[in-house]
Amino acid sequence: MPDLTLTDVAKRFGDNTVLHELDLHVRDGELFTLLGPSGCGKSTTLWSIAGLHSPDRGTIAFGERVVFDGQKVDLPPEKRNCGVVFQSYAVWPHLDVAENVGYPLKLRKVGRRDRAARVHEVLELVELDHLAARYPHELSGGQQQRVALARALAHPPDLLLLDEPFSNLDAKLRERARDWLRTLQQRVGVTTVFVTHDQDEALSMSDRIMVMEQGRVRQVGTPEEVYQEPADLFVADFVGTVNVLPGTAAAAREGVARVWLEGLGEPLSVPTGEVGDVKLAIRPEQVVVHPPGAGARPNVVTTKVLSQSYLGDHYRYVVGLGASELVVRTLAPVVHGSELTIELPPAALRVFPIA
Amino acid sequence: MTATLSPTPGARAPGVGRARSGRASARTTASHYLIWAVTLVLVVGPVVPIVVASLWTTPLYASGGEPTLDNYATLLSDAAWWSAVGSSLAFAGLTTVLSVVLGVGAAVLLSRTDLPLRGVFAGVLVLPVILPGLVLIVGWMAMWAPSGYVSSWLEVNTFLSFPIDLYTMPGMALVATSVAAPIIFLFCRTTVLAIDSSLEDAARSSGAGPLRALLSVTVPLLRPAILNSALLVFAVSFEVLGLPLILGFSNDITLVSTYLYDHWINSAPPEQGLVSAGAVFLLACVSGLLVVRNRLVGDAERYTTVTGKASAQRPVGLGAAKWPLTVLVALVLGVLVVVPLAGVVLMSFTSLLTPLLDPWTVLTLDNFRSVFDNPVWVDSIRNSLLIAGVGGLVATVAIAMISVVAHRSDFRYRGSLQQAVLWPRMMPGLVTGMAFFWSFAILDPSGAVRSSLWGLGLAFAVRSLALGYGVFYPALAAIGQDLDRAARTSGATWWQATFSVALRLSAPAMAACFVLLFVSMLNDSDPAVFLVTDKTPVMGLTMLQLAATSTGGAVAAFGVIQMLITVVVLGVGRLVLGRRIHA
Repeated sequence: MPDLTLTDVAKRFGDNTVLHELDLHVRDGELFTLLGPSGCGKSTTLWSIAGLHSPDRGTIAFGERVVFDGQKVDLPPEKRNCGVVFQSYAVWPHLDVAENVGYPLKLRKVGRRDRAARVHEVLELVELDHLAARYPHELSGGQQQRVALARALAHPPDLLLLDEPFSNLDAKLRERARDWLRTLQQRVGVTTVFVTHDQDEALSMSDRIMVMEQGRVRQVGTPEEVYQEPADLFVADFVGTVNVLPGTAAAAREGVARVWLEGLGEPLSVPTGEVGDVKLAIRPEQVVVHPPGAGARPNVVTTKVLSQSYLGDHYRYVVGLGASELVVRTLAPVVHGSELTIELPPAALRVFPIA
Repeated sequence: MTATLSPTPGARAPGVGRARSGRASARTTASHYLIWAVTLVLVVGPVVPIVVASLWTTPLYASGGEPTLDNYATLLSDAAWWSAVGSSLAFAGLTTVLSVVLGVGAAVLLSRTDLPLRGVFAGVLVLPVILPGLVLIVGWMAMWAPSGYVSSWLEVNTFLSFPIDLYTMPGMALVATSVAAPIIFLFCRTTVLAIDSSLEDAARSSGAGPLRALLSVTVPLLRPAILNSALLVFAVSFEVLGLPLILGFSNDITLVSTYLYDHWINSAPPEQGLVSAGAVFLLACVSGLLVVRNRLVGDAERYTTVTGKASAQRPVGLGAAKWPLTVLVALVLGVLVVVPLAGVVLMSFTSLLTPLLDPWTVLTLDNFRSVFDNPVWVDSIRNSLLIAGVGGLVATVAIAMISVVAHRSDFRYRGSLQQAVLWPRMMPGLVTGMAFFWSFAILDPSGAVRSSLWGLGLAFAVRSLALGYGVFYPALAAIGQDLDRAARTSGATWWQATFSVALRLSAPAMAACFVLLFVSMLNDSDPAVFLVTDKTPVMGLTMLQLAATSTGGAVAAFGVIQMLITVVVLGVGRLVLGRRIHA
């Protein structure tokens, strides 16, 4: 399987720049996810790779094979040898399952016997070989999606491209499909680019994630890196939930700065070199809840409970922290009155300068 | 890597491509340009010679001549011309008003109330749109003309009489209304059925009675549909030729179309420059009106689809008004549709239709015999079937090709293609005919094309493009573009993807398009006025010429044959298209 390299790819629609000089490299056999809100350019990127959109400039190469290079090279989609699974699945309604999967092979003039064998092989892979003679309208959404996947894998492709393939499945099915697809991708070992706006999908399936916003790359990293060490507030906020607290940092001593939050008497100790107006970010599950009267320690604050709710697998509190509101998540119930003692562990606090 | 991915079966995509910039290959692009150029030449091209002819001193087939504005000067200083324009405006206005009243009333009554027999009524109401229009006029004359069968019967046997003389302006407008009202009805019914019934329910829960809710919510929501269809009806009534030629003749009521017809056919030598100038004027007026209409409605009707909501609507109870209204609707439809159609049939099977004789005593098949004994009429039928069959097929294929290039490709000028295919809708039939007449005169001085059926067929086909497109395009638009894209990424070229997916899935729409084009080309008459030769008579024009000069039983028999072919084709089409593929 080749790797995939995009260099300096840019695309505008009229006045609207949807991709700013995008560089990205997907390693051989990797499952690489483009994550971002709608309109961030992730689908445009995917379609540019597939050949369904022409970028304005830049180069796209599958291994050594250049498929797009500014005005010089622009291979049409049929010459790129990608397998694409569309959001709508795009399973052809007039062909049965086997014919759908066999179509790319037919175009490549694979003989009847080889074709049947390969179709059977791929359908077995997606666990649909018993439904080969069915028509798409006789299949469930999940089954249609697997037909689309089988078709995308049939030729076989140099690259597998997935455009929000789970968005039309219900929540339960989606989780199962995720695990299943990840296992399958690892078995086949095909280099895969996956587009989604769902952070859970991205975190649970990817080798690496690229977070995009408004046509720009915000961060590239493993799921752990992106979640635990977000490059900026956007990434922190988009991937997972985060509390953002405006504050003012004084010059650091021995790597630890004191940060004053508005309306809060005591400053917080935060490991940072930033000075001046900053934003602190902490994830709700990283806030530690203490029993009432848990002595005075750094970054331990007694707060007023504004609301609380029970969500089955966890409790969620909203507390007043100075002038800000803070969301706190805890697994065990806490006995408390109208106040909650919480700790903001310095290691869990991330500091971002105000842009 | 595991064993699952065996070595690539078949060819691997080639190395670095030398493909031109853009996603279509050079060959695909070339084919797109070809389709585009042919379409523009056939659709817009023919208008050019009309304009030139109107600005030239001699006919274009004669040599010499020089540019002139005389034709326009003569036209604009002719009092008869201006009176024709005035009459056309009056006729179109009156027809539009009558049609809106009838069409909107019918749309609401027949689709939203519990009126008994509303399904049957709706079926009868739309008959005139389906059947050849000229035949209906023959029926009107047979039954409702001052000397007609039913109007004289009423006068002889009752104190009633038919209040309107068909050979006057109101009479002509009434006949035109029987064809135009169903157009308004169809437009408005689509909207009525698509209106979310929760809007009416909201009015009901605010305290309005069912009828009140219908009148205060649904009817106002119809305004765009009414405006849209009313402008269409006005434009069509402004240019129509057949009806004023047949009915306006005896009282010398001249409309724009008959003025042009007269100065071409009946004056010696034909005043072709003058008529061309008039045609340019007519084209400008009608196109202008339809451009206004498109602006106003954003061509929305092409995207209107009947949603599944109809079943959720509860019919509104009419209460005590139910039976009186039923009688009224039956009466109106009886006068406008049933009696004229019955008239044609009755006339075709009798030797003399008069209230003084019992029709059963004068039954005969002589009329049909004389149709088949007349070589011109038999030729007309054969020619029309040929043109409708071959032309309908060619036009359907053309529409499918143009639509896929216009809507499913990256072709640079696909926008202009979308406009071009709608353009014939703005061309009066008379103007289309003249456009092709002049084009053939210039491009083919030998007259070979014109004297064959190909010339006439081509004009009919171009004229029907917009109609067929209107049927085909919504079906094409309903096919998700991802289906094409999936084929492209699987390795199909643009044409391969188009044929194996988009066109394959829209095959039923193509069949429907063919049936419609067949019927429309079978009965079309106006473009033939200028194009017809002794060797190429067609049914529509033969009927027009006959109806304008006589009302004999043979004409009715000819009309019955025309109706029969139409009904059979539509019936077969419906039967065949009833079988849907899985989708």
